[in-house]
Amino acid sequence: MPVLEARDLSKRFPGVVALNSVDISFEAGRIHCVIGENGAGKSTLIKCLTGVYKPDAGEIFICGVKAEYGHDAAFNKVAYVQQEIELFSHMSVAENLFMPFGKSGIKGLIHQSRLEKMAGPVLERFRINVRPDELVKDISTSSQQLLQIARAIVNDNYEVLMLDEPTTSLTTDDTRVLFEIIREIKQAGKAVIFISHKLEEIFELGDEITILRNGEKIAFSLLSDIDIPEVITKMTGRAIDQHEAFRSAKVTDEILMEVEHLTGERFTDVSFSLKRGEILGFYGLVGAGRTELMQAIFGYLPIYTGDIKVLGLKWKKGDTNYSVRHGFIYLPEERKKYGILPMLSIRENVSISVLDKIKSTFGISAKQENNLADEVINFYEIKTTDAEKAIQFLSGGNQQKVIIGRAMICRPTILVFDEPTKGIDVGTKAEIYRMMKKLAEENNVGIILISSEMEEIRRCANRIIVLYEGRKVEEFDAKANREEILSAVIGARKHLSAAGVGRLTILPDKETDADG
Amino acid sequence: MDKTTSKPPNQYIAALKRSNMTAITIILILMILLAGFSSEHFLDEYNLKALTRDLAFIGMIGIGQALLLLIGELDLSVGKIASLCGVIAGMLMVTFGFNPYFSLAAALMLGVCLGALNGLIITKLRLNSMVVTIGMAGVYGGLTLVLTRGRAVTGIPEVIHVLGKGHLGPVPVPFVFTIAVLIAVLFLVKKTKTGRYIYAIGNSKEAARILGIKVDRVRILNYAIMGFISALAGILYVARLGSSQASVGDSWPMNSIAASVIGGVALTGGVGNPAGALVGAAIISVIQNMIVLKGVSVYWQSAVSGFVVVAAISFGSISAMLRDRKQRKMKIETLKQ
Repeated sequence: MPVLEARDLSKRFPGVVALNSVDISFEAGRIHCVIGENGAGKSTLIKCLTGVYKPDAGEIFICGVKAEYGHDAAFNKVAYVQQEIELFSHMSVAENLFMPFGKSGIKGLIHQSRLEKMAGPVLERFRINVRPDELVKDISTSSQQLLQIARAIVNDNYEVLMLDEPTTSLTTDDTRVLFEIIREIKQAGKAVIFISHKLEEIFELGDEITILRNGEKIAFSLLSDIDIPEVITKMTGRAIDQHEAFRSAKVTDEILMEVEHLTGERFTDVSFSLKRGEILGFYGLVGAGRTELMQAIFGYLPIYTGDIKVLGLKWKKGDTNYSVRHGFIYLPEERKKYGILPMLSIRENVSISVLDKIKSTFGISAKQENNLADEVINFYEIKTTDAEKAIQFLSGGNQQKVIIGRAMICRPTILVFDEPTKGIDVGTKAEIYRMMKKLAEENNVGIILISSEMEEIRRCANRIIVLYEGRKVEEFDAKANREEILSAVIGARKHLSAAGVGRLTILPDKETDADG
Repeated sequence: MDKTTSKPPNQYIAALKRSNMTAITIILILMILLAGFSSEHFLDEYNLKALTRDLAFIGMIGIGQALLLLIGELDLSVGKIASLCGVIAGMLMVTFGFNPYFSLAAALMLGVCLGALNGLIITKLRLNSMVVTIGMAGVYGGLTLVLTRGRAVTGIPEVIHVLGKGHLGPVPVPFVFTIAVLIAVLFLVKKTKTGRYIYAIGNSKEAARILGIKVDRVRILNYAIMGFISALAGILYVARLGSSQASVGDSWPMNSIAASVIGGVALTGGVGNPAGALVGAAIISVIQNMIVLKGVSVYWQSAVSGFVVVAAISFGSISAMLRDRKQRKMKIETLKQ
């Protein structure tokens, strides 16, 4: 009998079907891997199985008992460790381990010394080499990750352990340790759910695999019956409309921007050039320094050394105002923090960069401003009741369109798109690609596209630059295939890990919520 | 947010509905009516003039404070800037015998400089506005004491008394200045580029920088404006009393923040209208006036007015909670469809 089972599970968000009648079951004493691309529905599945989301349809059984959303008791048997590290950084290791104390069986007054004594064996079991009284902020990321896993199962009251990308911040040695621990847990008769993009880890550790794509369960197999290429094929699929190319067909020879030997905090000695009418892709792992590089060129982050020339002009560093005035616009990845002005209306979000141009004798002209907002709403087909709606109430895709519209009315010459389709559904994705292509071809804009999605880069970019740990590894033209690009990333890793840095990572797509 | 009705939406009514000032203005009117019915002296000309004169000062400082709250910051040194500028103006006139108008202008300039100094420290050293302005309040207050040795500067020339004690028609002159400040600030926030940037910064400093806005420059400007308004209030108070006193403005920091918050300006920045601060100030003034008229014991006055201010602030927060709940219901309904 499966320990955790979901039957016919469906979950819909406005505009997206995140899960479409998925059946999945997890057996005691087995390590079951779940894999899927960005937006395939992994997060949604996790959130339904841990009782965070209420599924639209379907049933969940935990140890044979039907688990209802909103009733915690059954879900307590599912120990879940999330991808991001979320610990109390200014509290001790022991306190973090047992927080909240009631759930760890600690009653009454809390004695620091007793907590520390209790923490000892747990830390030993997980080979976390720190003192129980050390503050979490002072221990290594790797130890923090292990501590987070230890915390999830410290009360031993679980039947299922669910690990979401547990190795992303682990060193190679700690990954070994984690695998040993996971095998011990399996021996103890618990079910383990292992969610990862790293195929080699899956094949090393797992017993069986479920592959998700676009919210549907594509395949279930024993790992002994399947190989890596087959998993990749099943995972990415070959739906035709998902492979339409959006590369610019009008790349000119005119160099818009030349960057030479640029070094900053998170990037080292990067040189490249951007042509008018070109879409230049930047690919790499999450944290490869692509965002930092572009923000530095834009003036948001400091540059240590190196030169930037735009249209032959020597570029002023560290001044975002200068960049915007000279037609260089950066569209940030984290829309909610860096992109939108959440409480202001769509109108105010649109006009903020062009207030100079809509002046009348008595300051800002309300009429011109309204017209401008209406134009953007109509042109980019933004779904809203009116221009006065606060932008935070729009969906992610529509927010992104407002931001693109705002950038466009400034008539930029260089536009940086940083993960423009993160958390955005497939339909809107294509619209945004089409927009980029049009900008490059018709408005002669030089576009830089930062993406962690291989397909996105391959479909849109005329040239692809791969960054690894802040360094430029290789440059490809549009004909480069998936394997070549991946091998550049892996090759870079091998090269660097010989020097003691980095780890093996395949398919570094980051999972995001399907809340587009 | 509003559901479309069958009637063609009137933009003015829509704007009224959307404005968070509408409710608070209605409350003010109700309070004035209530006060008028419950106390026979409330609507006396003398009482109304005294009330408006008090309101002028809280209102003026509140409007300035609203500008800072809009960028998510605040200034707790307003009272001390006011008293320092008042004392300097008094000493320039009385001790050094300068032209009174020149002295006032010099005090206003000083206010701008002190405000800008606050802003420079906060932006360039990347410090928290609350901590810096508490500290700077100590510095400015200390300087005032050093200059006056705790004694009031008396003998302020009669010519400027009209600024504090006079009337323009039935309206006390300080209130005329408050209205002038309000008009200027409203023009700034509603009609100029800088005003829009103030809202943008209050929404997200990071996003504002990515848009190419010179964030620090706008922030310093806001502190300088606050300094100017503080100095203005300070010298008007000198004109009202006929002497410069170190204790002027002690209650202004808290009252100005309360006025802004009651008036719908969010402490977190980015939303609100400075005109709301004047309405908020009016509510506080009416309450304080009623406490006096009702003969509440002096020992209780501070406790009662403090309680009423907290209650008034809670009102804004509770209505926001209700609004959130309504939004949640609406969203759940759209999901069901």
